[in-house]
Amino acid sequence: MSSQAQINQNSLKPGRWVKSTCKMCLHSCTNRIHVTDDGIINKIEGDPTNPSNMGKLCPKGNSAILRHYDPQRFKQPLRRTNPEKGPGIDPKWEPISWDEALDICAEEIGKSLKEDPRKILPSLEDFQKFNIWTWPYSFGNFNCFQSAGTMCGGAYHPANGYIHAAFASINDVEHCNYWINCGTGDGFSSHLHAAASSYHMANARVDRGMKVVTIEPRLSTSAAKSEEWVPIRPATDRQFALSLCHVMAEEGLCDYVFLKKDTNAPYLVGEDGRFLRNADGDIWVWDATDNQAKLWNDESIGDFALEGEYEVEGKKCKPAFQKFRDILDRCSPEEMEKITTVPAEDTRRIAREFAEAAQIGATIEIDGRTLPLRPAAFNYYRGAQGRKKGMQANHSFKMVNFMVGSIDTPGGHLGVNLDEKMIDWIRTQPGDCGQMLGEPHQLGPVPPMSYPPNEYHLLSYFPVGVNPPHLNLVVAEDPEKFGMDFEPDVMVICHSNPLWSMQGPREKWIDFMKSMRFIVVSDIIPTETTDFADIILPSHDVLESWNMTMIEPPFSEGQCLRQPATEPLHDTKSEEDIFYELSKRLGLVEAWYGVINMVFGFDQKPELMLQPDRHYTDKEFAELKGKLWNGKDLDWYIEHGHSSTKRQSRKAYRPWDGLRLNFYIEDLLNVRDNLKAAMVEKGVPFVDEWEWDDYQPLPTPDLDPIHEEPPEYDMYGFFFKDIQLNFGEGLSNPWIKDIVFRDPVHTAILMNSKTMENKGLANADIIRIESPHGGPIFGRVMGVETMHPDAIGVSNSLSRMRNENKSVNRAGGHFNVLLPYDLRNTDAVTGQPEGACRVKITRLDDWPKFLMEENESETVYEIVDHIAKGKGVH
Amino acid sequence: MARMGMVFDLKRCIGCNACVVGCKQENSLPDGVFFTRTLSEEYGVYPSVKRVYIPTLCNHCEDPPCEKVCPSGATYTRDDGIVMIDGDQCIGCSACAVACPYDARTQVTQESLEKGLYGTGELTPFEKDGYKRFTPGTMVKCDFCSQRVDAGLDPACVVTCPTDARIFGDLDDPDSKPSRLIRERGGRTPLADKNTRPKVYYVD
Repeated sequence: MSSQAQINQNSLKPGRWVKSTCKMCLHSCTNRIHVTDDGIINKIEGDPTNPSNMGKLCPKGNSAILRHYDPQRFKQPLRRTNPEKGPGIDPKWEPISWDEALDICAEEIGKSLKEDPRKILPSLEDFQKFNIWTWPYSFGNFNCFQSAGTMCGGAYHPANGYIHAAFASINDVEHCNYWINCGTGDGFSSHLHAAASSYHMANARVDRGMKVVTIEPRLSTSAAKSEEWVPIRPATDRQFALSLCHVMAEEGLCDYVFLKKDTNAPYLVGEDGRFLRNADGDIWVWDATDNQAKLWNDESIGDFALEGEYEVEGKKCKPAFQKFRDILDRCSPEEMEKITTVPAEDTRRIAREFAEAAQIGATIEIDGRTLPLRPAAFNYYRGAQGRKKGMQANHSFKMVNFMVGSIDTPGGHLGVNLDEKMIDWIRTQPGDCGQMLGEPHQLGPVPPMSYPPNEYHLLSYFPVGVNPPHLNLVVAEDPEKFGMDFEPDVMVICHSNPLWSMQGPREKWIDFMKSMRFIVVSDIIPTETTDFADIILPSHDVLESWNMTMIEPPFSEGQCLRQPATEPLHDTKSEEDIFYELSKRLGLVEAWYGVINMVFGFDQKPELMLQPDRHYTDKEFAELKGKLWNGKDLDWYIEHGHSSTKRQSRKAYRPWDGLRLNFYIEDLLNVRDNLKAAMVEKGVPFVDEWEWDDYQPLPTPDLDPIHEEPPEYDMYGFFFKDIQLNFGEGLSNPWIKDIVFRDPVHTAILMNSKTMENKGLANADIIRIESPHGGPIFGRVMGVETMHPDAIGVSNSLSRMRNENKSVNRAGGHFNVLLPYDLRNTDAVTGQPEGACRVKITRLDDWPKFLMEENESETVYEIVDHIAKGKGVH
Repeated sequence: MARMGMVFDLKRCIGCNACVVGCKQENSLPDGVFFTRTLSEEYGVYPSVKRVYIPTLCNHCEDPPCEKVCPSGATYTRDDGIVMIDGDQCIGCSACAVACPYDARTQVTQESLEKGLYGTGELTPFEKDGYKRFTPGTMVKCDFCSQRVDAGLDPACVVTCPTDARIFGDLDDPDSKPSRLIRERGGRTPLADKNTRPKVYYVD
């Protein structure tokens, strides 16, 4: 045996375990952190007591130690001494004291606050800390310079708000037998609690034999593990979903009981698109039994008509379901195949399989309730929802579930809440005429429409939106056109890297950042964005700080505690302390606390409300949030780590029981008309440019503009992430690099091998990629069988730009520079911009000069070649 | 006596590499050293194409070619079947790495221990503490986290695997999870024609 007496396994070395919560992505898998007797963090595992992630962690969660010990972490407050700003240009940081740094920031921010608070442009993107995210609300500022709205669910969240009164949604993994994944990695590689989702999904697939069908232009992880991969042309998922609905409607494969009793599908719609109402505002329906119109709540109704054309009070009308059927007449699988390329016979087969698997009519007993069992559901996320007509896309996907009654029911597609705040809180409320109240503003209210616009990204012109931050650039290019009467001059940035993630031309974003009088960034490591900061306020990392959070867990609920495993390594502060100190200097503490009391829901339990004369630490915020959830104090949470339990069935299943779901979203017409009237009244000059057709109460098959680009852009381009790259920065982490750059899909531009051949290209050729909106970017092409012939796929691993972080490897330019950032490609309803683009490809003989320069950081391709020789990443 | 082995459920594996990073954490592996890997292989022609994710590690063979060729006796098999390397005995000749048909062995270089994971020559506290286990120039490989096994725990990769695609246990116990899986789903060993009799099986 070995003579080595010492223990080698890190998790067995003398030390202690600390229960905490991960933040390597925005979600909140709980973990336990091993700290040796010498104070070294040497192992992080999942917490086996959490019914969500069950002790599992994804590769990013496994790599948090190297973020903590990253030698490039900001170690103290820094002040720029080099006035020249640019990518990779050394800011020549000078260490300064916290007091000095905070004083400078308060003075610079204070100048704008005094002149015009709208001049402050925030990018506060820590999704586990909404107290920081909403800081600007304390001075009435709703500006936004972060990519969360566009790269996340600009249309997804409002659509979930309308349909489920929830922030997100997921299929019911416990009961679903037929799971369609469309443009999402849910259950395999991304989105809601990736490790937890993958665990429960694997059990469903292998132990229960659940069938998964994945609709994607690339054979993703989801597609690789599915029974069936359906390759689809990018940006045509809506047309595919509508063709599924066409088949189900045509063949009577619908849950008519659900549609009649649980949705507004039978409500009569007039020729103006509005529900037909009597003088009191009550909505008419048609009773097929008595063959006459009755009011929605008339107890004598024998059978709600879903189809047909009627006349009520002299007005022609149709049930909402018939209106949808009229649209579906245009959506036969044969017709949609011309757009999606999905063979019509496959669409018909999948629609029939799906409807059969839904077991329409079946019920299940859960916790004393008899509920419809619909174990077939259509799930989707970023890849499918990120469209110019984003609201329509989202709505079309929900429609597939509406047809078979698989919404918020066992086996179906369930609403998922962001943070329920209190254990007994139920999300749904009654709305108009028996309908569930649609709540599109899941991240808080949108400010009232203003002209001149109060928000530089025109937020108030998207009354159903999340945030359209790409429009900052549209406005900056022509502020007069939009009547702007202010120019932003200060950026306040915290845990956000907009310069990396924003779509649109990088050089223009760089100029935009350069135009700022002052930029303060709070972060832990250098990024593309920190290169442009004037002051760095270094914050604690996830292993050194406190927090309490519940971030859209798919199958569980409860608060998860973050607690320090070690004292801070460097002279850093918590974000809470940083923003308290700034607020104190700016006279904003009371206003900020007022915002937090509302955002965190402390106002629901007055004894927890923040007092304006006090300073609350990150630890105290954590304690208050824990108490709000279940009344337990911090010691309880320190011992248990979390209050996560399996999701209560009364919240998961039909929390809206007795109300009707918004099959037909009439509110979109109200919102449209209110906005239009306000724009006309205020004389907004660009009113005619607004694409009012985007506002549709039912989804249509009308094409997105991406399909109408000049023909020389003969291919489609899209980007993708896998679990190693899920949500946020990981590409400076050596362990992540060591796995990402060994995976062929992350090391080259992917193209169908036949297409590659037809274009006269060969493997490893260097190519230039341009779109009608930007570029070029450069890359090495790889022919694969796993791509749709019309598309190229670009991994997010190839997205980094030169910057001060020496551990980041450049590639040939960020795919996002190819994406449109204009109004034509922005959903006028939600502000969601198109997430794919058309591209043209040119073969080059060699790399462009900027990738060949000496004394630069290594490129991804150099690392890949290095690894191919059997070496590590260094 | 137990005979420890592992089954990879290829239906479950999603190629996420959490196991690989979990292993790097547990074993403080230097840059470029892997005790386990996850390969990704594509086959077929569009649109009838598949990708399979294949986890690999030391197969802890019953008839280990590495042990046979080891001139110093550093490679040995524990009573529970785990194939080990005694770092104090290893002379770093690499004969074992050549003999192993599975590419499961790596030589730890002085350079990798000095360069560190960030390639800067500065080691993090995590590396300073963890690299003590390595003797530069010697061979290393997966030992099923033998110290964890001794403590009654599963290997680190098994614990972290989000999909429970790695199933560890005693192959001599017909009721153990891996034994049942091998029996019920027809477990196959890698490169069976090499006759090394691996204690690692794949089911799909």
